[in-house]
Amino acid sequence: MSRAAAFAAALSGLPGMGPATLVRILAQHDPEAAWHAVRAGRIERPTGAGRRAGMGGGPAGSRPWAEVAARVDPVPWWRPFAGSGVRVTWRGQPDYPAALVHDPHPPGVLFWRGELAVLDLPAVALVGTRNATPDGRSVAFELGRDLAAAGICVVSGLALGIDGAAHRGCLQAVADGGPGAPAGVAASGVDVPYPRSHAGLWGRVVEAGVIVSETLPGRPAQAWRFPSRNRVIAGLVRMVVVVESHAAGGSLITAEAALERGVDVRVVPGPVRSPASAGSNQLLYDGPGPVRSARDVLDAMGMILPDRPGGPPPATRPGPGEGPAAAVGPLPPPSGPGRDTAVAVPPSGPGRDPQPARRGGIDHRTHRGGIDQRGPAGRPAPADPADAGVLAALGRRPATVGQIMARSGFDASTVVRCLHSLLGREAVVETAGWWSRT
Amino acid sequence: MLAMVHSATLVGVQGQPISVEVHVSTGLPSFTIVGLPDASCRESRDRVRAAILSSGLKWPQKRVTVNLAPTSVRKGGSGLDLPIAIALLAADGQLPAPACSGRAFIGELGLDGSLRRVPGVLPLVDSLRRPEVVLPPPCAAEVGLLGGTRARCAATLGTVVQALIGARPWDDPPRLAPPPADPARPDLADVRGQPLGRLAVEVAAAGGHHLLMVGPPGAGKTMLAERLVGLLPDLTAAEAVEVARIHSAAGLPVPAGVLSRRPPFRAPHHSASPVSLVGGGGVQMRPGELSCAHRGVLFLDELGEFPADVLDVLRQPLEEGQVLVCRARASVTFPARVLLVAAMNPCPCGSEGGPGSCRCREAARSRYGARVSGPLLDRFDIRIHVDRPDVSELVGGDPAGAGGGSTGESTAVVAGRVEAARRCARRRGVAANSDIPARRLDELAPLERAATRLLETRMRQGWLSARGLHRIRRVARTIADLAGWPGPVREQDVYSALALRAPVVLGGVGAGRSGAGEWEP
Repeated sequence: MSRAAAFAAALSGLPGMGPATLVRILAQHDPEAAWHAVRAGRIERPTGAGRRAGMGGGPAGSRPWAEVAARVDPVPWWRPFAGSGVRVTWRGQPDYPAALVHDPHPPGVLFWRGELAVLDLPAVALVGTRNATPDGRSVAFELGRDLAAAGICVVSGLALGIDGAAHRGCLQAVADGGPGAPAGVAASGVDVPYPRSHAGLWGRVVEAGVIVSETLPGRPAQAWRFPSRNRVIAGLVRMVVVVESHAAGGSLITAEAALERGVDVRVVPGPVRSPASAGSNQLLYDGPGPVRSARDVLDAMGMILPDRPGGPPPATRPGPGEGPAAAVGPLPPPSGPGRDTAVAVPPSGPGRDPQPARRGGIDHRTHRGGIDQRGPAGRPAPADPADAGVLAALGRRPATVGQIMARSGFDASTVVRCLHSLLGREAVVETAGWWSRT
Repeated sequence: MLAMVHSATLVGVQGQPISVEVHVSTGLPSFTIVGLPDASCRESRDRVRAAILSSGLKWPQKRVTVNLAPTSVRKGGSGLDLPIAIALLAADGQLPAPACSGRAFIGELGLDGSLRRVPGVLPLVDSLRRPEVVLPPPCAAEVGLLGGTRARCAATLGTVVQALIGARPWDDPPRLAPPPADPARPDLADVRGQPLGRLAVEVAAAGGHHLLMVGPPGAGKTMLAERLVGLLPDLTAAEAVEVARIHSAAGLPVPAGVLSRRPPFRAPHHSASPVSLVGGGGVQMRPGELSCAHRGVLFLDELGEFPADVLDVLRQPLEEGQVLVCRARASVTFPARVLLVAAMNPCPCGSEGGPGSCRCREAARSRYGARVSGPLLDRFDIRIHVDRPDVSELVGGDPAGAGGGSTGESTAVVAGRVEAARRCARRRGVAANSDIPARRLDELAPLERAATRLLETRMRQGWLSARGLHRIRRVARTIADLAGWPGPVREQDVYSALALRAPVVLGGVGAGRSGAGEWEP
């Protein structure tokens, strides 16, 4: 097995090897036989065929495969990777993610670290811009957290911004005992954290779930791999939720790939003037329905729907009542002493007023922690009257200390003191000098 | 026959005394200058010859050799024209030798024999230490600032010669136009709103803290920077002379007659080259903008548009207060004690709405942010966001309107507090609080217990680095000084100092270079 893995990995590393070619080769031979055929020159590099833009063809080297293969001994070459916890699966293997088996452009091999079986949970992708607003990140965090608490495998791309927030939310739910799991789809090798600042996040995702990648371990992220990575995300999940996307953002590619596969796409509506929501709002206008919270996502998935429309046959996908999803069961209404997070996501997009419609959410939050400093009316008032003044001056959109001073009339010292005290009570958050309400 | 005349040449901002020796002997007529003259100095052969002939004097049809001693120093500039001409006339016997001794000569000659201004006459005359210096009239007015030296002036070479032989009196130095009454300084009262911006310029002026303002175009960054220099206290007489000498060496107009006591304000455009900022260049090593702003404000608008290499040359001079410029032929130290004020947009598109509102491409943003290196960013004690004021602040009633939280104080009021704060710093033995060495912070700027606790908490939460801690403490000390609080730094002063150190992320939010680490909900 591990011997075959080494050969499968080595095959995927041949110059100019694309997923389509790899799938074809591995469908006809077992990996070791395929490798020997390559060395003997019986399998040759296809001449330009099957390499389409964005399909992972990549910049092709020019040497023939037999020559390359002659110089590599896959088994010792693969050993250090296997030793560091990198695993590989390919189409036809029992652990190959079921959702990808019937994908129109399936990955030939999939490298992974962690627990690949979490992909058998019902999976939802949360995708969005790297350059996100605090609101967007906070929505992504809550969606990730609440979906994971409901037993969903939260799939995202491990990038800055929305992706990172979604993973973190999911990780928090897992840490709190939620039945879901995170899955990261990387454009670089599974052992090459990208962006580097997310190295810690990668470690936590591997621990709690899985990171998969089509890219050979050790290889850096390259621009052309990202669209290809996005199609894997779309292929793995039952629904893609776009949280925030700039016009022409990469998450629109994921949405496009999802629509191609008949995977449901949903969009979190954003303020019409926010450039960070320009792309996602356009998508929303074009048709896909909106989601406001994890409840909307779960409703749309039904959690009674055995498999996604147009997706793979039920035989390959665990439906409700069988497989790991059975542990989740049909979603209960948020009652009882259990975790209520599955549905208690308040609408937190900017511009929405905290109106009585939110009452339910409020109850849940006070029930949950009793710490609630948000919103003006009907809420526990902040202890310090100056805190309230600062909170009032903060408004709905992010503001700087200078703006808060100008609006509240307080001096710098008071404003910063209140902001830090509100920060301690999680009533505000700060991003690069911009403060906003949670 | 041999004659010798004293003069001086400029090396950086220092004068270097030069002896001009001329030997006239029989032989084939020729005219050579030796002793490391540079191109502009060698050209004086032609100017001197034409000027002597135009002045109705005689050009010796002999072998003329000019030596500029000490020969090891490279001489540049045209200020040696006049001494060469005088020494030549003396060597040729057209002037009595005693008439030249005891005096020094500086000046450029026109082909018609007129005397022209040369830059750097203040340091030149200062280095000569001669009782009498003969100068072109505009320079004589400049030297009047020094006192102690008698400046003689004449309009042409002909009149210099006549005055030297006593045939006519020296010209009067040009009547000094009274210096214009302090040119209408921009007043801080013009700034509407911007309570944090006002606080920042006040603290920067009082403590000598470098200031970085980040904000969208039109937010008022330039307006604040221009008003900061008005808050700085007047220069002392010695400082004013020092500044005037640098400006003189740089060829900047030095106000005639009266020493300007106001600190300089220099705002070089972002197309500036490294040499134009720190100084250097030709043989004469002209001082750069950094030195021209010595004891004043160097304002770098559009900091992100300056090339990275230009900005990085500023780092070491900012730390040391001077810059040693080395070239193959000479090394020169320029004074460079400036208050650096910089302004930039948060990213190339200049978005104002905070995180997520930027329309730039990721690559463009990180390129923009990468221009300002971490070490340079670290030099800024004060970093604030400057935002466009709310409409109510702009149109609401009087500028002092309480609605905007603006006190609308004028420059005069704030400058008074700044002056008092600077006095506090001087009592500590430093010119400004930004000069307090880190190891003496506990002694010179102690903290109250609550303030210590606050800083400890902030550090533990990752808001502050160790280096940031020192800078915060200095700024907090300045804020306490401004409030007239003589005791240990209070908690509220630290809070204000924290307000003046926003975690500014250059290259826009989301570029992956966050001040306070990746944000987690």
